[in-house]
Amino acid sequence: MLLPFASWLHNTPISVALQAQVAWLWPFCETLHFAGLALLLGVAGMFDLRLMGFMKRVPISVVKEFMPWALVGFTLNLLTGVIFVVSQPAQYFGNPTWWLKVTFLIIAGVNAFIFETAYGRRAAALPAGEDTPTALKIIAAVSLISWAGVLWAGRMLPFLGAGVGAGL
Amino acid sequence: MEEFLLRLQESDFGLWVTSAPTIFGPDVYATILMLHTVGLAMIVGPAWVLDVRLLGYGARLPVETLRGAFRIMWIGFFINASTGIALFISEADDKGMRWVFWVKLLSIALALVVTSRLRRAVFGGGVAADVAPPRARSLAKASLLLWMVAITAGRLMAYVK
Repeated sequence: MLLPFASWLHNTPISVALQAQVAWLWPFCETLHFAGLALLLGVAGMFDLRLMGFMKRVPISVVKEFMPWALVGFTLNLLTGVIFVVSQPAQYFGNPTWWLKVTFLIIAGVNAFIFETAYGRRAAALPAGEDTPTALKIIAAVSLISWAGVLWAGRMLPFLGAGVGAGL
Repeated sequence: MEEFLLRLQESDFGLWVTSAPTIFGPDVYATILMLHTVGLAMIVGPAWVLDVRLLGYGARLPVETLRGAFRIMWIGFFINASTGIALFISEADDKGMRWVFWVKLLSIALALVVTSRLRRAVFGGGVAADVAPPRARSLAKASLLLWMVAITAGRLMAYVK
């Protein structure tokens, strides 16, 4: 199923157009991908540390004001990531490490969704100086670990499992 | 110079980096590259948070609470200096001869000078002011830019011969 999809995607006009620009587009997007990563992990990491009980003097809602910057980083990386996958689909679909990265991304996403829907209001109402409940500490730890997993799998893409789907 | 770089690259340590296996990846080299990216996030992430705060974003956050950012940045810098040296040794003859590598080192050196001045300007005199003085704002802009140049030059090391 993946093989036909990968080769179909590889032959779409958009993929072909991207492939033609690969010489400058790839390093350009990779650079943005690294900058986005720093922005995302810097801001989300700070928020996670606050949820874990660091910087207690600052209300959670104030730290959360920085989250749009994490979203900027995430959007940058989603956009550049899609460009990578669309221009070389088989290279990613055929690599188990890429699926691991996607799995970590999904865990991070679901975790963030749970935070927003189930704990967002309670976290915002938590008075400054008060210790955070265990649930928030767990959510923060899951967030940090899953983003670390995304980074680890992403950086290992060329080294781990790259040969597995070489025929795809 | 080139002879020295070649000797570094072919030292026992240089060969170990490119051939020994680890639990995180197929070899020490890949693992160190990954750690170099972790360090990057630990340096540039907090630096950019501080920079955008000093430029007026998220003004409800007391600047004083970001004093701890420097500790994370120091840990990140320690990781990246050590992994960077290891990576360099393993490819000394290749990377050491590229101009883009020296652009990266220069931009990092400048970024460090800017960061230490920024720290003194903002956190040097007791509790940090919540409205950054013009000097701190200029330093914040320089920091944003210099770390971006360092990331760009670092990435281009895989491309520019």
